[in-house]
Amino acid sequence: MGYLDNTSTTVDAILTKKGRELLARGGDEFKITKFALGDDEIDYSLWDVTHPNGTNSYGSAIENLPMLEAFPDENQIMRYKLVTMPKGTSKMPILEMPIPSTGLTYSSAGQSQAISPNTKNGSDAQLGYTIILHNSDAADLTVASGGEVVTGGATTPVFLSDAERKKSISVIGKTFSLVARSTTVKIVTQITVIGNETGAVTTVPITVNANA
Amino acid sequence: MAEIFTRFDSAQDVVSNLRQTVSSGMWSGGTGTLTTFFTSSTQSSSNGQYYYDMYKTDPASDSTAEIQFSVAFGDRNGSGSLGQTGNYPSKAIYAQYRNLLLTPGDSKFTFGGSVDSDRIYVLTMGRARLREKMDPGNWELHLSGSVGITVGNQLSHTGSFVKLIDDSGATTNPTVNAGGRVFNIVSGSIATGTAVTKTAAASNPGGGLGLFYPDLGIIVLNGDTVSVSGSITMGSGSGTNGNNAGAMYNAIKRGEYFVSRREEQLSTTHYFCRATNQKFNFSNNPTFFTASDGSLTNASFKNDPKAYITTVGLYNDTNELLAVAKLSKPILKSFSREAIVKVKLDY
Repeated sequence: MGYLDNTSTTVDAILTKKGRELLARGGDEFKITKFALGDDEIDYSLWDVTHPNGTNSYGSAIENLPMLEAFPDENQIMRYKLVTMPKGTSKMPILEMPIPSTGLTYSSAGQSQAISPNTKNGSDAQLGYTIILHNSDAADLTVASGGEVVTGGATTPVFLSDAERKKSISVIGKTFSLVARSTTVKIVTQITVIGNETGAVTTVPITVNANA
Repeated sequence: MAEIFTRFDSAQDVVSNLRQTVSSGMWSGGTGTLTTFFTSSTQSSSNGQYYYDMYKTDPASDSTAEIQFSVAFGDRNGSGSLGQTGNYPSKAIYAQYRNLLLTPGDSKFTFGGSVDSDRIYVLTMGRARLREKMDPGNWELHLSGSVGITVGNQLSHTGSFVKLIDDSGATTNPTVNAGGRVFNIVSGSIATGTAVTKTAAASNPGGGLGLFYPDLGIIVLNGDTVSVSGSITMGSGSGTNGNNAGAMYNAIKRGEYFVSRREEQLSTTHYFCRATNQKFNFSNNPTFFTASDGSLTNASFKNDPKAYITTVGLYNDTNELLAVAKLSKPILKSFSREAIVKVKLDY
């Protein structure tokens, strides 16, 4: 006879930088209304169906992994989220972009490209997409007319370097317009698109040639 | 339909604004007892006429030494300090604390037994040490006129020696004035775990030993009585530098004992994050599926997917990540498992 396993786990939360900012600002912005679960550090290739100890040990490599403490930078944590989907689902939502996989190349300033992400194996029709342009010197990114969604400035869970973060812009919508800016040097950057309901992510390289 | 966020049911999942009092040792490193005391020659040479900063370790040899508290001397008429007429540091100090702690129009500190005093020693706790307030009934300061001698495990003093505590344990309804709550300082000890008062403030010869303002972290000692009890030579001549803050520093240093706790009110909210069996069984972790068509990378996950919870993110309505909690080990989630993670958020 042993002790029963506790069914709940208690953990201490820390405020993110954004949380501290909104708490200091007062008002209703610091109002926690929902949660999401993440598995940032997990590599599912460690799930070992050939483990000699049997099914109970398939996940032992994952379960024995020491966990890192929480980072207060909201952009560096909760990058990969657990998703609720129907049983029997065999394919995860992925984002399709109606542009070449090699990316977009602009040769002149003012050149425009419509971006209309599509979620395959799922839908982001209600909350739309968060799209991040890593270097706003390269282009102007706006939500296309009619492509707006009713939501605010979601946290963008994507790795950006300090230099990129100073220059990045993010917008939320369903369809977008990317217009090349005038530049004297060739700029190579990328856009990251995130489905706000499914959490699906994709990136597309962007090149803006010198002037352009 | 895919979902990554789950809304809290505020009636069932959120227990909000639990007020909790947390106390801890007040000195550097969270320790409650201070037995060594140092000053900084840099600080004392520039404004030692007004106050001395007190350190736990010697700032001359320890670059990480932190200020624990400050000691100042005030005289209502400016005695015991050098200066030009009307501009005496000791007078400025007395006026500063009078303005801060007494009600307008009250020109003198009045101690136990309704005795006024023109001379005060003031101990002001460092902001970083105090945080919110001092814990009444949980501090004790020793002042000594002689250096202690250790006999066995006991430190003893041959000359004048006094142990100071506050009388909050015997006060059910403390006085509240411009400086917040005020308690008398009495001779006694808290070494046994409860306050044992030797002499009540009103009965102390010459008047009470001092006043304690826990909400501000300030201890005001009656210069006239404490200098006798602690054998502190008070320089009170007019137009002479009595170095009285330095004399108090020496008495504290010889006493070798200042124990104190601080107190904070924390607001805690508990969030119950319920991952029921039907929820959170898939992941958009790039190792969970192939990038080309979204197929699950592990064939055995097709009818029985397994995901691991390592992190809980708390969001507002605009999907901004406000707080985050990490689990100590990954929790397995599948259609045959449920998990409840209780997230505690203090602020």
